[in-house]
Order: sequence, then structure tokens, then C-alpha cells
Amino acid sequence: MSSKDEILANIRQHIRQTYDLPGIRPRGICYPDKIAQFIEVSRSVGGEAILLQEGEDINQRIRTLYPEARTIASNLPGISVQTLNPDEVETPAQLNGTDLGIVRGEIGVAENGCVWIPQNVKEKALYFIPEYLLILLDKTKIVNNMHEAYAQLQTCAYDFGVFLSGPSKTADIEQALVVGAHGAKGLRVILV
Amino acid sequence: MSSQHAKAARRFLDNNEQAQWHNRTLWMVREKRDRLAMQLPEWEELRNLASQIKMHSLSHLDYYLSRFAARAEANGALVHWAKDADEHNAIVLNILNEHKVKKLVKSKSMLTEECHLNPFLEARGIEVVESDLGERILQLMQAAPSHIVMPAIHLKRQEVGKLFEEKLHTEKDNSDPGYLTHAARLHLRNEFLTADAAMTGANFGVAETGEVVVCTNEGNADMGTSFPPLHIVSMGIEKVIPDHQALSVYTRLLARSATGQPATTYTSHYRKPRPGSGMHIVLVDNGRSRTLGNEEHLQTLKCIRCGACMNTCPVYRRSGGYAYTYFIPGPIGINLGMLRSPDRYSGNVAACSLCYSCNLVCPVRIDLADQIYRWRQQLDSLGKADRVKKIVSAGMNYLFMRPSVYNQGLRLAPSVNHLPRFMIYNPLNAWGIGREFPVFAKESFTRMWEKGKVKKPQNKDAYEQ
Repeated sequence: MSSKDEILANIRQHIRQTYDLPGIRPRGICYPDKIAQFIEVSRSVGGEAILLQEGEDINQRIRTLYPEARTIASNLPGISVQTLNPDEVETPAQLNGTDLGIVRGEIGVAENGCVWIPQNVKEKALYFIPEYLLILLDKTKIVNNMHEAYAQLQTCAYDFGVFLSGPSKTADIEQALVVGAHGAKGLRVILV
Repeated sequence: MSSQHAKAARRFLDNNEQAQWHNRTLWMVREKRDRLAMQLPEWEELRNLASQIKMHSLSHLDYYLSRFAARAEANGALVHWAKDADEHNAIVLNILNEHKVKKLVKSKSMLTEECHLNPFLEARGIEVVESDLGERILQLMQAAPSHIVMPAIHLKRQEVGKLFEEKLHTEKDNSDPGYLTHAARLHLRNEFLTADAAMTGANFGVAETGEVVVCTNEGNADMGTSFPPLHIVSMGIEKVIPDHQALSVYTRLLARSATGQPATTYTSHYRKPRPGSGMHIVLVDNGRSRTLGNEEHLQTLKCIRCGACMNTCPVYRRSGGYAYTYFIPGPIGINLGMLRSPDRYSGNVAACSLCYSCNLVCPVRIDLADQIYRWRQQLDSLGKADRVKKIVSAGMNYLFMRPSVYNQGLRLAPSVNHLPRFMIYNPLNAWGIGREFPVFAKESFTRMWEKGKVKKPQNKDAYEQ
């Protein structure tokens, strides 16, 4: 008998009583202004969400926000400030030293500032290794809560995906909050 | 008649300032959790759902586990099954050897801690690097975590500063948390980039999609899995949940309960291996299937490892993780330890005042305190009851069954007020250690009642005055 069969047999042998799935579909909190709530909670988790003004040039805005960024990695169409196409690296390690990564998010979540990013670059390292990360998100794609967000993932195929909320952080030394543990030291979302 | 826990707690309390800090800091985390929970009108409904979904998943675990494994394999992962810790470690070693791995970078390591994987691999020549900052600190110190979410919560910054000075060559006497974290960032980035394989635990396995979900704030699991050509997931069989709808419930509860954040920074969904890489999932039983048949303690399997029960526990906060003999401390650790081995870990069941605070904060509504109470009832049959407590209990039983003796005793009680201190506060009286006795009243309530000294209130309002 393989370990698999043995474990499964053990499970069947030990289950005493079965329980049904709860019938209720969780709805969750709703906000009168999802965009305002998203912006507020992004700040509370150490990030920042800003609205791109009508007619404002996005590349210009990025330049103003990151005047010191030298290596800027992005594969997004319309982003001209990029200096590195992340789809052209041979190994993910070549993304080390990237000052700024610019990526696109697919869903924003108002209750917790999460942005859903299904992998759409060659190496997922791009989401984690740059010193700073900038996410572009369609402001009409902000949902109220995680129930709504996961309901949308049903129809979305991905190999790897991440909900990102704020910059990388740790409080492992004396509970003192430090931003920039391993991933991005700063995280911004531009709502377009 | 001090328990093992009480003796270890005394050592923790010797450093009074540090003990006070520990207590206050964890309570602060509890308060943050409360603030976040109260922002959601549906919080209690979520806890109910979370509990019910877990009970459903556990009572259909054979189905969901098979489904999860089949989907994961269809996604391109290789699934292994481990009956116990030894088999888990052997499987992992085998995979690492096949890939000629010399250096392994790890994150979310509680299950591998349970299996004692690190020393097993190190003894076989594999370098193991923990990548969570707290865990890395402890690994460099050759010490164990004292909390499941905040592993180094018992340490002061100066201790970390000194350690880093020696191991990472940081500036002398610089113990600024920002500086030290940055030093660790540089050090671990190099490890991420040079590791031959990554290993992670799992917060959830989704049966419907075969994906593994890992939640961190640091991004260490993500960095670890982004570079080497091999990712091994080590996952307890109880982590499997049905689908995304279930996952939406748990991702809302986990970080709010754990650290008072609305979500972890990274909630990563590993569905397929990175192109050109291998992904292995090791499903570990190690006693879990047996617990399914233990109706009194089955609910421990619902645990999502948030640590809220530790943060709120008045005993944990004032005694620290090292006061417990099992590697997971606090209310959940007391119960998991007993399930592992009552013989080795029964000392921990004393570490509970039955205040039930843990039951109230647990996001999946585990009956933690009830379980501890039940373990205590079994201590005698396990041969682990304290001898002195048994004698005292027998005495109390005799007394409470005989009202006349009891009342006579009460009449004599006030004389205790006049006894010399050494007769009350001595090693024979555990209740006199670390606290002052209350003063006995001159007369008992029963006597006062008999003498008509107790006046009935004139009206209902008198109760409220």
C-alpha cells in the first residue's frame, strides 16, 4: 500500500461525522466610494494610491514621482520611461539592481488595498526584486472586498498570481515596523 | 507543585522589564486585531463561516485532498505523500539530491520545524537558510522560534545587533531595527540569488485549482521561489480547502487576526511551476489523520496558524514562548503538543487560567480553552496528575461534601489572619507564592445570615446601588 493510499484510508477510517458546506455565500462589506476607500487603506498599509488626472501624461508623472530611478523595468505598452524590457532577461537574477518596476494590476480591493497581479511578465521576480514597485490599475476595476475579488478570479487563468498590499515589511526586531524587508521598499498604485 | 511551565516562566519573569515589554507588546497586537475586526460588521459571521468551511473540509478530507493532488499534478507539480516526519524528510532529501542541491532557502517553516527537517538536512551536507527575518535571526543564534508569527518576539534589538555584528559584520553597537533589517536584506538577497532550491510551507491548498497559497509580509517566500529552478512545498494535509470562495473567507481573517493588518503584503498563488523549473508538493500527515477521529480535539485541525490565541493569552504574554515545552506555544500549542505526546508535553496544560480569551479571538472558532480543560481531566488517567494537587483535591472533596466540617473550618479561618508570615508564605503553600492572601472576614456569610445580620433589600433598585 502506498503512503498515499494509507493516508487516505486512515482519513476515511477516522472521520466520525460529516459536516455540510455552509449554504450562505459571503457578501462582505461594501463602501459608498470604493476609490476613496482604496486610497485611504493603501496609505494605512504603508503604500500610496494616486489618481491620474484627466489629460495628465503618465510617463511625465512617473518621472516626477521617481526622479532618481535609473533602471526602470516594464513591458507595458505606452510606458516610455522604461530602460529595461523584463521579458528580454535571460535569468531572473538579471533583474537584481532594478530601481523601479512598473507592472499592471487587474483587480483592486477596497477593504485592504490589495491589487491582484496575475503573472504577465517572463519572470515573476519583477514583482519582488525592484527597489520600488509601481502598479497601474484601472480605477473601475476596484471591488469592495475579497469575496468579490475571488469571484472574478474564477474566469481568470494564471500560472502564478499575487495579491499585493503595500510595500514589503517586517516587525521582527522588537515589533518596530521596517519597510523594505526583501521586496519593494515603496509601493505605489496609479489609478488610471 | 509548580508545573514545568511555571518553573520556566519564572526564568522569563526574572527579567522583569523584558517580561513587561513582552506582555504590553503582544497586547498591543491584540488591540490592533480588535480595531481591524470591528471595522467589519460581518466579522462574527466570517468566523462562523471559517469554522464551518473547515469542519466541512476536514470531514471530507479524503475527497478534497485527492482532488487537490490531481489538480496540482495536472498543473505540472509533482505530489508526494508523507505519513510522518521521517518520510517527509526522506522525500525532501531525495528531491534535493536528485537536483544536486547544496543550498536550500526556506520560508514559512513551521511544518518543517515540526518534522525537524533542518538538522536532518544539515547533517547530510545541505546548507539550509531560513529567510524570514525573525527565523534567520534565530537560526544564526541556533535558537528556536518563541511565537509562530513573530518568532523573535522575545529578543531585544541589542541582542540582534550583537548577533549581526558577529555574523553579518554590521557596525559595532548599532542596533537600530531599520539598519539591521537593511543589513539582513542585503545578506538574504545574496542567499536568494545563489540558492539551488526554495522550500516554502503553505497557508492554504485549494482543491478546485490545485494551487498553493502562501501569505507573507516580507516577501521572502516570493523572493525565494523566484530564482532557483526548484520549489518544494511542504504542506500539512489539513491545509486543503474547497475553492476560492472559501479562500476569500480565510484571507480576510488571517492577517487581521494575526497582526491587525487588513491583509498580508503578499498573498501568493502558486499554480504552475515556473517555466523551466520543478515544483514538488509534499503532503504531510504526521498524526493529523488520527486526530480526525478524536472528537474532543478534532477542532485543532481547523487552525490557520495566525497566533491570535497567543497574543491574547495572559499566561503566554507573561511567560514567553520558551516556557512551553512544545515548539508551538500558547493555547493552540498546548493542545497540539498533547496530541503529539501527552507523555512529553502534559506540563503545558497548566499554562492556562481558563479565561477563554483564546476562544473569543480565534478566527476559526477552535474551542481552545475547552480542550485544555478536557486534557486536565485526563491527566490523572495519563498518570500525569500532580501529587500535591491530588492530595489537596481529595481534601477539598472531603470538606465540600461535609457542610458541618466546612462551616467549622470557616469559623476558624479568621485565625489565619494572625498567623506569622512564615506559616502562610512558605514553599508548602503554592497559593502564597508571588501574591498576598486576602484577609478573611471575621464572620462567614452563612453565620451572618443565621444571626439575621443580612438585610433583605427593600426594593429591586437596591441591587443596583
